Amino acid sequence: MTGTPLLTRVVVAGRDAALWLAAAVVARGLGPAGVRVVAAELPTRLRPSDVCATLPALEAVHARLKVDEAALIRAAGGAYSLGQNFVDGTGSIRSFFHAWGSYGTPIEGRPFFQHWLRARHLGLDAPFQDFCPTAVAASNGRMLLPDADTAAFGRADYGYHMNAQAYSHYMKSVARALGVETHEADSLDIELDGAGETIAAVALDGGRRFGAQFFIDATGEDGLLIASLGAGWESWRGQFPADRALVAEAPALAPVPAFAEIRASEQGWTVLHPCRRATGVAHFYSSDLQSDEEALKAADAVSGANLSYASVAAKKQGRRLAPWRGNCVAVGAAACAFDPVHDVDLHAVQLGLVHLMSLFPRTESFAAERIEYNRRLNSSFDRVRDFQRAFYALAPFKGAFWNKARSGDTPPSLAHKIATFSARAEIAPLEDESFDADSWRALFLGLGATPESWPPAVDRVPPERLNEEFRRVLGFIKTKILEQPAHDAYLRAVDAGAAS
Amino acid sequence: MEQRPGTAAARPPLRVVIVGGGTAGWMTAAAMNRLLPARDYAVTLIESDEIGTVGVGEATLPHIKLFNDMLGVDEARFMRDTRSTFKLGIEFRDWDLPGESYIHPFGAFGEPWGGVEFQHHWLRARAEGLPSFPLQDYSFAVAAARRNAFAFPDRDPKSIRSTFSYAYHFDAGLYAEFLRAMSVERGVRRIEGMVRDIARNPETGDITDLTLKSGERVAGDLFVDCTGFRALLLGGVFGAEWEDWTHWLPCDRALAVPCEISGPPTPHTRSTARPAGWTWRIPLQHRVGNGYVFSSRFIGDEEARETLLAALDGRALGEPRLLRFSPGRRKRAWAGNCVGIGLASGFLEPLESTSIFLIQAAALDLVNLMPKRGAERIDPRLSDEFNRLCEMQYDRVRDFLVLHYAANRRLGEPLWDYVRSMPLPESLAHKIELFRTRAMLPNYQYGLFARDSWLSVLAGQGIMPEGYDRLADAFDLSRLGEQLDSFRSRIASTVEAMPEHGAFIAGYCGTQGFSPVREKAS
Repeated sequence: MTGTPLLTRVVVAGRDAALWLAAAVVARGLGPAGVRVVAAELPTRLRPSDVCATLPALEAVHARLKVDEAALIRAAGGAYSLGQNFVDGTGSIRSFFHAWGSYGTPIEGRPFFQHWLRARHLGLDAPFQDFCPTAVAASNGRMLLPDADTAAFGRADYGYHMNAQAYSHYMKSVARALGVETHEADSLDIELDGAGETIAAVALDGGRRFGAQFFIDATGEDGLLIASLGAGWESWRGQFPADRALVAEAPALAPVPAFAEIRASEQGWTVLHPCRRATGVAHFYSSDLQSDEEALKAADAVSGANLSYASVAAKKQGRRLAPWRGNCVAVGAAACAFDPVHDVDLHAVQLGLVHLMSLFPRTESFAAERIEYNRRLNSSFDRVRDFQRAFYALAPFKGAFWNKARSGDTPPSLAHKIATFSARAEIAPLEDESFDADSWRALFLGLGATPESWPPAVDRVPPERLNEEFRRVLGFIKTKILEQPAHDAYLRAVDAGAAS
Repeated sequence: MEQRPGTAAARPPLRVVIVGGGTAGWMTAAAMNRLLPARDYAVTLIESDEIGTVGVGEATLPHIKLFNDMLGVDEARFMRDTRSTFKLGIEFRDWDLPGESYIHPFGAFGEPWGGVEFQHHWLRARAEGLPSFPLQDYSFAVAAARRNAFAFPDRDPKSIRSTFSYAYHFDAGLYAEFLRAMSVERGVRRIEGMVRDIARNPETGDITDLTLKSGERVAGDLFVDCTGFRALLLGGVFGAEWEDWTHWLPCDRALAVPCEISGPPTPHTRSTARPAGWTWRIPLQHRVGNGYVFSSRFIGDEEARETLLAALDGRALGEPRLLRFSPGRRKRAWAGNCVGIGLASGFLEPLESTSIFLIQAAALDLVNLMPKRGAERIDPRLSDEFNRLCEMQYDRVRDFLVLHYAANRRLGEPLWDYVRSMPLPESLAHKIELFRTRAMLPNYQYGLFARDSWLSVLAGQGIMPEGYDRLADAFDLSRLGEQLDSFRSRIASTVEAMPEHGAFIAGYCGTQGFSPVREKAS
């Protein structure tokens, strides 16, 4: 091994969930390998009404951190989410569900979707999502608890809707329990080394100085640390129409739905994130097409006219050209500010941490790691960006906001994906995807993109066999859903400590 | 445009014409026959008895078993008919340094502990001064190959005998015949003849029909060019642009000759580095296939011939045959209504037995993306995706092959000095650097090769990582030595109980005349 000194000290600077996830993940993975983690915490930017919505993948991080799910849900006033229901308030299309689970099971080794497509042409009436246990559970107010049956069927996952402040507090306690040294500060100054290429230390409130060999920037969109090293920014403004966000809170829904609802209106879209004690409401719009007052009215209309804690802020979309520069890795919004439509904010944090852990430098010499990290993260971010851009590029909704959305720039990687889907019902395989093929299918199909053909092998299956398979799937779903607890009942069981 | 579903029944079946009946032609025909609805497609294959195929042994990758299973092939019968032996990997002799050898197995090295890949634990043990053995000793497939042992993988994932897969060595000419008999019986039309003329639509440029020497005209909607290096249609008609990789893979010729058997069959291919290239040795049931892949820049044909003949284990069965090729690929394997599969679409030397895999992948992608009955013309959205997938496969295999050359310490030999110092594809240089600095392996979701393959060749070519994954340091050091030992002893005791490869073949799929006893070396 080389003689350069081992990397043994990391400073994570930032705020809220990104800060605590980063500190906890590094401490958990590398604490036993001799790495000390110091967290410098800046004042929160979360409002009491902010909801943190997660993708199912986050559960893997929680599991590594030995987070008890029921305890977390209790502490964060959380609810479960089986996916996203997209509703067209402009009246162009019927609503569709983007589920965190499989749609059907493969038949003769080919995706269920392609058989369903053929069956539609043979006269089948049932929508695609009727073959997804997760979507059916959600629309029936039930949970879908994974077991051996659902595992045999396919994927059956869920995410969470939690109060963002409470989640952040919870993760802070997790990080501290893992030995992270924490310091709070109102402001932070960055001290670069002589050449200005690496960070030597951060100073809190103009005084307390913390030096380290390696820094993690979890300061959100500001990217205070990474920006000090001159990492450029690639704006996605030309691809995403919303540049403003209104965030508010509405009373809890009864019963609490186990999904997010996204409603398109002519000048933007509004999302409801049901939690236990309140419902998060957010409205996204374009400042040149809708005023803040109009946005408030739009959000109010969707949520039943009883919003509180409303506030507005600018929204930007884009990513750093290089999320790792010098001796600093930016995670979450400091590295990539995604569009809000698929609740991927914490997923951005997770992508950064997963790859950082697999590439964590041994010593202060880490050029190869940095190149690889930037390659992987840029590729992973771009795939999520493609998925999000697809929502706007294909949006069938009426109104000026959606005209702007459709006329935005579509990256060639996405254009190719849409072309392959339209021509042959295939999802062109690319590396580093976060959303699986069924997510792409549900999104494309829901937005009205209908494939013109399917692979010829599908036509070999006799129609009677298809009928039999479809009946089997529908039968399984019906049986399985009837076994499930209602979401509300399950939440009560979690509160009582009775859920497993 | 593709047709709207529902109108198809009124149209005649889509006519597919495959030109060339070697391995590529018959694998494509068999896949189409098995996977496409018979009422929608009419598949014709034109081959000429005047054009021979190279009848040496061919080595494959484990994917071939999936292909055969898809066709519903009975394995023992297929192995008998093609004189197959089993293949657990490839032994590379003298590649890094003369006198050294390693095996690239179709199997795992060790197992991950605490979520951290094995090589990191192995490197840590060495760094900490624990007694440890060469990396090769922690692969079950390597141990079985070295001992000339074979048994099918165990289905129980907890068994160490589940940590490998296998492929075959077979006579590629016999494999093509095997697929031909099966496909013709199942409905593929075979025409014996030579193509004399090619007619094209003056507006679209698409091929409309072929005229054979006999005067017979064969019309088609889609033409598959399996004419090998000649690329009669894709190159000859469409002039599909060629991307040349000679600067990375300087070998441009091969001499091939079978020889008599003089020992028990090895369950692995052998590749031996030579001054101007490398020789292969592929054991079949009835003979051994041999060849010398070399660069004409560094050796003459005659000297290469002498090197090859001197390397045989047994008497040569005929004169060595010379093949010329250039490494590279056509930038578009699908142009107009013509799709190249096999050597017509590109060539990569057989160093890692990828040619049949590349045929298999292209045939399956084509079956997925080809026009449907009633399609009026080729949909460029489909050919774009096919070409993208093809490019990905070729580029990834290329990087892996170049690695074998680039990382060598055969100082003072002009070919090896050249490849050691040539500029590498950026994608490969970066992979080598990641392994050298921290033992990190490429991890593709699609295409070849998998992590353990990279590990075997990177380490086998003498690249010793300077560091390893930090997460390995979180693992309990006091248990590490014991776990490494116990893994090795699990391999040893399991391999010990396995049958000898020759005996296994004799019992499972031996042809008349195949006798592992008689053929034992004296």
